[in-house]
Amino acid sequence: MTTSNLDRRDFLKVLGISGAAATLAGCGHTSIESGVEEVMSYVHPQDFVVPGIGVFYASTCAQCGSGCGIMGKVREGRVLKLEGNPESGISGGKICGLGQAGVQAHYNPDRLRTPMYQGEGGLIPVSWEKAHQILEQRLGPNSSLKGEQIAFLTDRVSGHQRVLLENFLETFDSTHHVTYDALSTATGRAATKAILGAEQPLWNIHEARLILSFGNDFLGSGISPVYMARQYALFRKAPRGTLIQIEPRMTLTGGNADRWYPIKPGTEGILALGIAHDLLQHEEFSRGVPQEVLDLVKNYDRDAVSDITGIGSDAVRLIAAQLWNNSPSLVIAGPSVEGHSYGFSNAAAVQLLNVILGNRGKTMEGQSEHPFPQLTPTLGSYQALAELNQKMAAGQTQALLIYGTNPVFTAPSHLPFAESMSKVPFKVAFVTHMDETAGQCDLILPLLSALEDFGTHVAEYQPNGVEVMLQQPLMEKLYPESKGYGDILLEVLKKRKPEAYAAFPDYYSYLKTAMVKAKPVFKVSDSDDHFWEDALRNGLVKWDGKPTTLEAKLPALTMPKPAELTTDYPFYFVPSIRADMRDGRHAYLPWLQESPETMTTVVWDSWVEIHPKTAEAMQIKEGDILQIQSATGSVRAKAYLFPGIQPDTVSMPLGQGHTQLGRFATGVGVNPYKILDPIFDGHTGELAMHATRVALRKTGEHQMVVKDEGPTTLQNGQKLVATLSADQAKLSKEI
Amino acid sequence: MSLSNLIQNWNSFRTRRPYEGQYDDAPYKWAMVIDLDACIGCNACTVACYAENNLPVVGKERFGKGQAMHWIRIERYWGEGEAMQSEFPDHGAQYLPMLCQQCEAAPCEPVCPVGATHHSPDGLNTQVYNRCVGSRYCSANCPYKVRYFNWWNYPDRAWPNPLELQLNPDVTVRSKGVMEKCTFCMQRLRAGMDKAKTEGRILADGEVLTACAQACPTSAITFGNLSDKKSKVARTWKNQQVDLSKNVQEKSEEGIRGYRILEDLNTYPSIVYLERVRNLEA
Repeated sequence: MTTSNLDRRDFLKVLGISGAAATLAGCGHTSIESGVEEVMSYVHPQDFVVPGIGVFYASTCAQCGSGCGIMGKVREGRVLKLEGNPESGISGGKICGLGQAGVQAHYNPDRLRTPMYQGEGGLIPVSWEKAHQILEQRLGPNSSLKGEQIAFLTDRVSGHQRVLLENFLETFDSTHHVTYDALSTATGRAATKAILGAEQPLWNIHEARLILSFGNDFLGSGISPVYMARQYALFRKAPRGTLIQIEPRMTLTGGNADRWYPIKPGTEGILALGIAHDLLQHEEFSRGVPQEVLDLVKNYDRDAVSDITGIGSDAVRLIAAQLWNNSPSLVIAGPSVEGHSYGFSNAAAVQLLNVILGNRGKTMEGQSEHPFPQLTPTLGSYQALAELNQKMAAGQTQALLIYGTNPVFTAPSHLPFAESMSKVPFKVAFVTHMDETAGQCDLILPLLSALEDFGTHVAEYQPNGVEVMLQQPLMEKLYPESKGYGDILLEVLKKRKPEAYAAFPDYYSYLKTAMVKAKPVFKVSDSDDHFWEDALRNGLVKWDGKPTTLEAKLPALTMPKPAELTTDYPFYFVPSIRADMRDGRHAYLPWLQESPETMTTVVWDSWVEIHPKTAEAMQIKEGDILQIQSATGSVRAKAYLFPGIQPDTVSMPLGQGHTQLGRFATGVGVNPYKILDPIFDGHTGELAMHATRVALRKTGEHQMVVKDEGPTTLQNGQKLVATLSADQAKLSKEI
Repeated sequence: MSLSNLIQNWNSFRTRRPYEGQYDDAPYKWAMVIDLDACIGCNACTVACYAENNLPVVGKERFGKGQAMHWIRIERYWGEGEAMQSEFPDHGAQYLPMLCQQCEAAPCEPVCPVGATHHSPDGLNTQVYNRCVGSRYCSANCPYKVRYFNWWNYPDRAWPNPLELQLNPDVTVRSKGVMEKCTFCMQRLRAGMDKAKTEGRILADGEVLTACAQACPTSAITFGNLSDKKSKVARTWKNQQVDLSKNVQEKSEEGIRGYRILEDLNTYPSIVYLERVRNLEA
């Protein structure tokens, strides 16, 4: 068998190290390189290393913020595969495709291997000695930076990484931690809080008899997809619950619905009020509902609602009747609801249904209290980035540190982030890969991969009490010149505040001390070392918490009617979020590029989805290259005919169109973030991502759409996927 | 197996399998159940398979030529007949995880000129890479289109350094000119069966899982030993009234979901699918 690319020396390089024993106990990072001369014989293997046998070590998936417990299969010092950790209440031993691809993030050929510095002639590699010198010069004890002169821009960050970050800023008398999320759900969270008293309630999916989801892709790109998928599996067992999904473009979750309705974008709130109108005809529901709400709902009878939303009045009646007949229900809203200039009202109207239906305490509860609020994740918003952008443009920011986020790629073109950044004299990026934002920085520091570093993670969605998840190295670091994020911060902190941090030789010892100090809270009577070893072995520490009660409020709402489409921009534009690409940060993972997007089966590309009826009217065929023009900008993409879309709507997936993210991402597809119009939610100021309208122009060019599906999307009478009506299924008799 | 042996014993190869009680005395017969009502089409199984089985990423151009190497794929359909029933997919999409059905009377086996694909004693349709000469007859004869041919020498280019460090040492990296397919994660089965044999026992139910079944967030895939009557797979096959050795399944009542795909081709697959359920009144 030819294995010309599989270098035997690489293999030995990995063998010649302390391997898994060090991993288990987690004693810092001995460099692989330094062990090259010391190839060990298998006659005397290390403890826990059995040649040819894979051993599993627990850790935490860092691919998204769900905080799934994972286990890495480690063999001969290499991590080979990730599985779910059964100890984790979130993953329950399961794992998604995005999580699996964590090994490709780690072994990615385009990882940054040395620190880089923006010199006179462009980016040049520098030594860590030099990098630390630069860091100390700018951010060391003699730095005069204060308060908002320094900014730390991150994605959501939790656990002790967050603690250390905030402690670091505190030494500058600063709290200027900016959390940016290109797929922010801040508007939806604010609306949920206004109605239910909590930003993110717990959903007891498996106890719901009916789920009414307005565009929430909880099985794909939602808040904790693996946990939700596990709950969904229970929901579908006898007595099988019903899922109704209403959204402009069919998501993965919509594809699983018992009934799917295409709705005109932005009219979800009006439909919700229409359903409320029907429900409030019954005294059972209208009792105790304030007069303002009754007055608001009064104007939304079925026919009026049907005209605006495009959902037939029979359907409105049917949905209301099913909510009436199937209690408890669960009503949830997603990105397509909140992404409008009145997104807050839109989402609030949807949440109102939960109050009217009395779902609180049944399918919705408050998350438990948190024993360590300082470890909880900081949640990002667009607004935070916009404020930072203003400060940078005004020259107020003297130093900018960036970790885990790529705003140059994800910011819309009306937010000139790259330009504003250039006014900041000192910019540092903490990255594993050169991306568009890091490319604009002065100092770029190569981080350890998530499978090489220590850390703690706390998920936003905590289904069972609170789990503090531990991340530990699954193997020695691949590149001697990469460093842990915690270690870098700690080194700067040691210089700025030696009295507090000098005692910690590295981030590992800081983490261990911090966790062991917290031991009494977890009510563990073991010795410190046992507690820590157990935590590493299990990959987490659990804190028993009870769900809390949600306090409902019924505030007065105003629900604007969306403006009609115009002849200049005759289509609604809906960006879709892929479960694997998310905001585009995972586009460098070849498994995900080659993994067909489920609804279209397209790979390695961007495309624009258009309803077959609309395409026929415009004489557009699959593969025709269209120009998608908004008031802000335009992109070109291949047409894909897609029946799961509202006919006045076109949709494009986010995540592609990178100019700098390694060989697998660069030059693949286009970036629809750049054509989003400057429309913002009136309540939260968040970017309204579903409010852009576009025109389509045929370019006359044509290219084949590379996809997995064959020439037909129909079964042609073959019994491939058979469907049984729920009333005929005998699920309770099944095993 | 020599060619002359193959020709001389042609009838036995074609008709011997399956017969009733064939696996009654065998320690193992590997089989699967896929619940299409639980499958959400999330692609966790397909990526898990890439990770476990050293599947090469072929890139856009080759994917476009139909050269993708996914041993398991999610097919997505919009209707059962020859046209959609309405303008929109009112009851969602139809997701189908499609992988080698490990047919008991596999159409791919008798057409192999060199006997590279054959049936194992534990009921797997196996592919012997170093016997394969690349005739691709097996792929042409497979009604499920789940056999994948190495048109290129992927070890040369599919794993740029250091991606090759992720390769599973238990699984061969295939070279140009060789056919490959889902093995039901034979490397996991082999290791498990050997361990159990050393310990003088039979593998327990759930002790070894395929990578796809292990990853599946909704547990839509159940994998196990059909010879072990107490295994979940065996109980489900029985409960769903699917008999391995029959090509027409008689059901005692309506509403029993188990079926095998393209059963009328007399392939006797080892995978039972459970019909997708939809509340059509919703």
